Amino acid sequence: MFQVDRQVLESILALLEELKGDWEYDGEIGPGTRFIADLGLESLEIVVLATMIQQEYGRLPFPAFFDEIGRRPVEDRDVTVAELVTFVCEHRQPIAQEA
Amino acid sequence: MKTTGPTLLIGLDGATFDVLDPYVEAGVMPSLGALMKRGSRGVLRSIMPPLTPPAWTSLVTGKHPGQHGIFDFFQKEEPGSIYFSYASSQDVRSATIWSLASDAGRRVISLNFPLMFPPPPVNGVVVPGGMMPWRQLRLGCHPPGLFARLKRLPGFNPREMLDMEMEVKAIDGCPEEEYADWVELHIRREQRWAEVMRHLMDEEPGDLMAIMFDGVDKLQHLCWRFIDPACRPAQPTAWERGMIERCERYFRSLDGLIGDLVNRAGPDATVILASDHGFGPTRDVFHVNSWLERMGYLQWADPAEAARRRAATDVGFAEMTRHVHALDWSRTLAYAATPSSQGIHVVERVPGTETPLPEEVRARIILELAAALLELRHPHTGEPLLADVWTREQAFVGPFEGLGPDLSMVLADGGTISILPADEIVARRDQVRGHHRWEGIFLAAGSGIRQSAHVDELSLVDVAPLILYRLGVGIPDDLAGRLSSQLFEPGELEHRAPRTVPAAAPVSATAVPGADLRLQPEEEAAVMERLRALGYVE
Repeated sequence: MFQVDRQVLESILALLEELKGDWEYDGEIGPGTRFIADLGLESLEIVVLATMIQQEYGRLPFPAFFDEIGRRPVEDRDVTVAELVTFVCEHRQPIAQEA
Repeated sequence: MKTTGPTLLIGLDGATFDVLDPYVEAGVMPSLGALMKRGSRGVLRSIMPPLTPPAWTSLVTGKHPGQHGIFDFFQKEEPGSIYFSYASSQDVRSATIWSLASDAGRRVISLNFPLMFPPPPVNGVVVPGGMMPWRQLRLGCHPPGLFARLKRLPGFNPREMLDMEMEVKAIDGCPEEEYADWVELHIRREQRWAEVMRHLMDEEPGDLMAIMFDGVDKLQHLCWRFIDPACRPAQPTAWERGMIERCERYFRSLDGLIGDLVNRAGPDATVILASDHGFGPTRDVFHVNSWLERMGYLQWADPAEAARRRAATDVGFAEMTRHVHALDWSRTLAYAATPSSQGIHVVERVPGTETPLPEEVRARIILELAAALLELRHPHTGEPLLADVWTREQAFVGPFEGLGPDLSMVLADGGTISILPADEIVARRDQVRGHHRWEGIFLAAGSGIRQSAHVDELSLVDVAPLILYRLGVGIPDDLAGRLSSQLFEPGELEHRAPRTVPAAAPVSATAVPGADLRLQPEEEAAVMERLRALGYVE
């Protein structure tokens, strides 16, 4: 059973905090924040954000993740910060054990 | 050792001499005309597919898609996968003019080129273009802190520089009342990119300074009938006359920006203008997945769902995954995943199973499809619908060919394909639209380069060796492109001899599941039985 890594959550929240000024969003961003409904992102923007996250956590199976979102009813086609963090924690490359 | 002044690369996405020459002759583009007198020009033949992401990647790597790994806006996850991801700089599997120049200690400026996100750590500056969303441009700028510096420029407006809605309108069209603002927005967009370039040229100049103007492509898609003299209405309405003038204003403004950048680069600079592909008129749309369905190679998952998606224009999730849930994978052998690639993929597993499809079966399906495509006739004219069909081996030879489509199509009228279901296999648009062609533009001027010369056709992959040569950087010996001697004054290449260097170790090739598969007789019989049950073999 994987666990949500607090560092991943904080790292993604920090990334969003850095960007939110450019999005003209002045609300709080937390685990429950939705990318489309709350932050006003287009779906492609989430895809591009995913590419940036891969820089840090290695190749992740985002197409299957987006496929699952695309199959949802239109009103549920969104991603929360918590969902994204959970997905990253579940699929990121295992960190090599330190000697 | 660097042998000349700086190199200025101006990319004009989709530019064709069919459009530029008449504007030059009419006095709309005097700076371009002056540059033509100063330099050598020729047709620049694009690659398969003549499409922005793979084509610009070929220009900056000097390699074909099978060698650099980019085939489309979206990228197959791995050879056997039906999933596609957003193509990014992480997918470019080759050295580029940016990395090679940086490694040699040259400073680069790269503005608005695709596949530059996440930004590669070059020695210099990157502001990515392509499908870079404006809201995340901060993350795309290299080095860190650049975005904050650029924000202080009065004309810096990421929203107008990278508005994705403009992309959608270029392809899907827009109401007539929106055309004028749309063209005006492109005029401003090019000005804003040019302002960034001027600032960087003044404040932190590079040895290689490159900017790409992509409005040429967008305008030609939507407004071809106002741009191409051969397609303009004989008796234009007032609105059409206004659009002709507005498009002319775009090209006049673009010419002013080109002239200013060339002057700013200085008299010692090498100036290279290039397009990733050409353009021409088209009306046809080939609904390839519907054709595959009729031929028995594809099954839609749910006709109601497919019909609902017909109207979808959303990019992102929809573009990456539409085909995944639109198709019944237990009964699909061949499919087109994106309209842009103009390609057909044959699945690599026996439908409905995890068993790899034997290579000989795949090969037979591919050849059957290619033959059937070449037999297709246009329903209105009776002429062949396709000008050519290339197999993956013909189009994409190289270590990454497994990521490309198995078949690539060229429509006879230069038209597009659609992956959506349709009652008619071939649809005709009411209006002429512009679409990509092989014949792009090339123009180079500078010390030692022939003046007022028309040179033989060059390949898109020949641009990278020229740029590296002018930067005094060694040309890797694995490039597909060659330095074209016809561009230079006699003795120039002897005076400043190009230097070839061994290429860096190649990135590992992608494995193709099933390629080495040797089935036992009973396994092969089971596979064939499954295919027979599905109706794919007789």
